[in-house]
Amino acid sequence: MAKDRSQREDYTAPLRRLLLGALLLCLLGVFLVWRIDSPRVERFRAQVTDKVVPSMEWAMVPVTATINLLRDFQSYQRLSEQNRELRSELRQMRAWKEAALQLEQENARLLDLNNVRLDPQLTYVTGVVMADSGSPFRQSVLLNVGARDGIVDGWAAMDGIGLVGRISGVGQNTARVILLTDAASSIPATIQPSGQTTLIAGDNTAAPVLDFLENRELVRPGDRVITSGDGGVFPAGLLIGQIAQDPSGRLRVRLSADYERLEFLRVIRHLGNEQIDTPGNIVTTTPVENGEALAVEDEEAVDG
Amino acid sequence: MDSLSASRVWIMRLTYVGLALVILFFHLLPLNTLPNRWAPPDMLIALTFAWTLRRPDFVPVLLIACVLLIADFMLQRPPGLLSALVVAGSAYLRNWSAGLSDASFLGEWASVGLVLVSVMVLNRMILGLTAVEQAPMWLVLIQLVLTIAVYPLVAIISQSLFGVRKLTPADVDILGGRT
Repeated sequence: MAKDRSQREDYTAPLRRLLLGALLLCLLGVFLVWRIDSPRVERFRAQVTDKVVPSMEWAMVPVTATINLLRDFQSYQRLSEQNRELRSELRQMRAWKEAALQLEQENARLLDLNNVRLDPQLTYVTGVVMADSGSPFRQSVLLNVGARDGIVDGWAAMDGIGLVGRISGVGQNTARVILLTDAASSIPATIQPSGQTTLIAGDNTAAPVLDFLENRELVRPGDRVITSGDGGVFPAGLLIGQIAQDPSGRLRVRLSADYERLEFLRVIRHLGNEQIDTPGNIVTTTPVENGEALAVEDEEAVDG
Repeated sequence: MDSLSASRVWIMRLTYVGLALVILFFHLLPLNTLPNRWAPPDMLIALTFAWTLRRPDFVPVLLIACVLLIADFMLQRPPGLLSALVVAGSAYLRNWSAGLSDASFLGEWASVGLVLVSVMVLNRMILGLTAVEQAPMWLVLIQLVLTIAVYPLVAIISQSLFGVRKLTPADVDILGGRT
């Protein structure tokens, strides 16, 4: 009987090896295709996620809720302590609220005086976080809004307070948000009040680092960091966080968004910054004898 | 000889797919959106290797390749690379275990550890060669060590809960005689 088996293996073994080789080639081929034509494969990935994750939602929502409930339960043990903390925080907040109300009134007055029109295109779509990246090496979340809701790659996602990340990968019903903490994320930003521009680059820690900072002397811990809108992908002026210094002396951003519990995210509709590419109608465009030379001169003056 | 019947084999194959989906499901739950200081063990690879060493017929290479490719896609990994390495690793382990009928568990653990290390090293080398962005080294190392540490547990659970045991020589003879 043992002989039978060894004979049988004699002709199945090469077949097995062939199958194994073909499989390995296929898998490595997939990897190579991904490396060469990443956007196409990533789009495929977004479609796969779009099909699979919503179909698991019925199970994911209750399980997530249960686990969060258990976690909350643990925090009940520290209830009285938390209560005391909250009370003192509330006292501070009252003072801040007073200040904020006054500032709001003042701001409204000033806006009225200046006749400012705020950017009307900064409307948003709110989505619910369905899943995270699933891997400890990538920082992203999946929202339940997608191409169906008009989401476009590159738009900004915020929680109520600060910037959370940018859309990267849109399916029909889902969209992936690459968080600011992901190693692949880098966002052009401005530091207030010094006006320095910088890049906020994630490095898989809770606080992203500042890259390409021109003059470090002008930046101090506690400064506000907002998006600069450079590159035209992001709207300008979204709050990112505050500067902080880590023990090794590197400048990092303490993010304003609450990354502990990302639940609802706002995706900011951004239809591109408008470009001004004509000199306008002040300069005459009708060909007059000396007019053209004049127009060119005017343009140069504007450029300068 | 219930554990040898064709229906049983197919049920166990489906069980493997089901377990893999459950592992993916728990990976995807949005419980923690802050970057972790540590990485959990890769249960899917541990499970695959444990089953390959016990009952290779429950986890054919094609099944492993499909499951891991899905995992690659769902977990935002470069698709294909890790699954190719795991398929190669499981093929190696399959040959290794076919040579010895009953090796001690320590020997098994050591060779699984060796395969896991080489999968990690090759993965990083190929990613480095193709200039793909890599995860931080310490996170990968933590994951590797935890995966090796959790392997005996996975093996015990597979044996006791799912009845994935090595075949005795008598079983092999029956199997060989019947098919």
